[in-house]
Amino acid sequence: MDGTSRRTYLKGTAAGAATLGLAGCLGFGGSGEDTIQIGSDIPYPPFEYREADGTLVGFDVDIAAAVFGEQLEMTPEFNQTAFDGIISALNNGNFRVIMSAMTINDTRAEKVDFSDPYFTAYQTIVVPQNSDVTTKEDLRGATIGVQKGTTGSTAAAELKEEFGGDLDIKQYDLIADAFNAILNNQVDAIINDNTVNAQYISQNEDQLRFVEGDGAAVEQGKNAPPYLTLTVEEYGIAFRQDDDDLREQVNEALATIRENGTYDEIYNEYFEG
Amino acid sequence: MADAFSETDPQTNTGLLTDRNVRLAGQVVAVVFAAAVLYLLYRIASLVDLGLLETIFPRFVDAYLLVLFIFVVGGVLSVILGVFVGLGRISRSTLTRGVTVGYVEFFRGTPLLFQLIVIYYGIPTLFGGPDFPIQNWEIPAAILGLTLNHGAYIGEAIRGGINSVPDGQMEAARSLGMSYIGAMREVVLPQAWRNALPAMGNDQVILIKDTSLLTVIAVPELLSQFRDVYSTTFDPWTPILLVAVAYLCLTLPLSYVVTYFERRASPGGDNE
Repeated sequence: MDGTSRRTYLKGTAAGAATLGLAGCLGFGGSGEDTIQIGSDIPYPPFEYREADGTLVGFDVDIAAAVFGEQLEMTPEFNQTAFDGIISALNNGNFRVIMSAMTINDTRAEKVDFSDPYFTAYQTIVVPQNSDVTTKEDLRGATIGVQKGTTGSTAAAELKEEFGGDLDIKQYDLIADAFNAILNNQVDAIINDNTVNAQYISQNEDQLRFVEGDGAAVEQGKNAPPYLTLTVEEYGIAFRQDDDDLREQVNEALATIRENGTYDEIYNEYFEG
Repeated sequence: MADAFSETDPQTNTGLLTDRNVRLAGQVVAVVFAAAVLYLLYRIASLVDLGLLETIFPRFVDAYLLVLFIFVVGGVLSVILGVFVGLGRISRSTLTRGVTVGYVEFFRGTPLLFQLIVIYYGIPTLFGGPDFPIQNWEIPAAILGLTLNHGAYIGEAIRGGINSVPDGQMEAARSLGMSYIGAMREVVLPQAWRNALPAMGNDQVILIKDTSLLTVIAVPELLSQFRDVYSTTFDPWTPILLVAVAYLCLTLPLSYVVTYFERRASPGGDNE
């Protein structure tokens, strides 16, 4: 190879790299002003999941359509993201807001601002239908499946502390993996949000059940579901900390859809009957 | 070399591209790179939270020991499997060779992540689902996946090693009255082992790094610990530091061990 051809080749490569870089920039600039990018950990039924044909549905998806679509006249677009890195992804600018059945808590609130709560959830325990576990205390020494980075994982860690370390926790990437594991005898129980648990239980009624009893919900005087609740949590839409205008608009829109009945319609579609 | 780079007569070496300038340019790039790395390390060091480091340290020690265990068991099993795979690849029986080729092509042709998911989530449903007898299946699944995957790569390294031993060695051994198996074991394999060692050592380093994939099958390994700490504290650098140190504490000693084996296996090397 002589000098000229190598040189030409190098120049060609540089030009190619420059073109790719430019294309990349244009690609990023493609989304218009009226599209709102939403980060979400999919699948997390019934909040965000895909039907067999690939259509994205769920409570969060419909709330996004009502809040951003109908009230704020934007086009919501969901971006699939792993839950354990979702807050960093928001702050790094990968999307504008998070709608991912996200519980409002203090550590998260240090990094993001939350909208007003739009849902109340409880951490609950799922066990196989034939399990001996009937109370929280029965879980001592058991293996618990949770999803990485969730409040279910935190609740499991707190339970482990309460048991003096006598609890094994297996952390899965997706909640679906944890349910797969309980159906394959890999974990004794799952700690996760009640509504998601209820959805999986309804799909596997002869294999899974809730651990029943009173818990945190009753202590706090909440309208408690009939099963044992470890914690009471509220979901919020997460915003970057410099995004107050949008957050206020969303809070107003949430209030509006609660008043005009849209919220109840969506709620009943996913959580009643 | 020179004529590929210099525009003019290679001998006069004029213009900017003199040997001295190229050398200088190389040094400048190296200094800039080193300075950038040092600056980043300085910035990172200022972000590391010593209190958190102390709190999470025991978890990373546990994870380190777990990864070490999985690596040792998976590494030894994959080398043993690899020797048989390598021998199967050069077998004179079409059946043995065909089956081995199929095995190697499947495990080299599909991603390890996919294989781990198949073994961890798939296998239990084949054998009883809720009645699957092995409860902490993620550790056996991890070792099985790493062994099967790396057995294929080690097998190819061994086959390459055997092929690079000159045919004359086998012929000479056979002409001395040794059986094919005897000649293979006493003459060819020891030399093939030496030829295959660098590739095998490489593969074992990759095996250590591949344990990071085990995070998706709920093995509490190093990256899993990182993700867990990070998702609750939002402090990336403190756990990252521990993960980096832990991996280097696995791969650097391994490189040393591999070098030792290579020296021991080379003719005229230290045969202690």
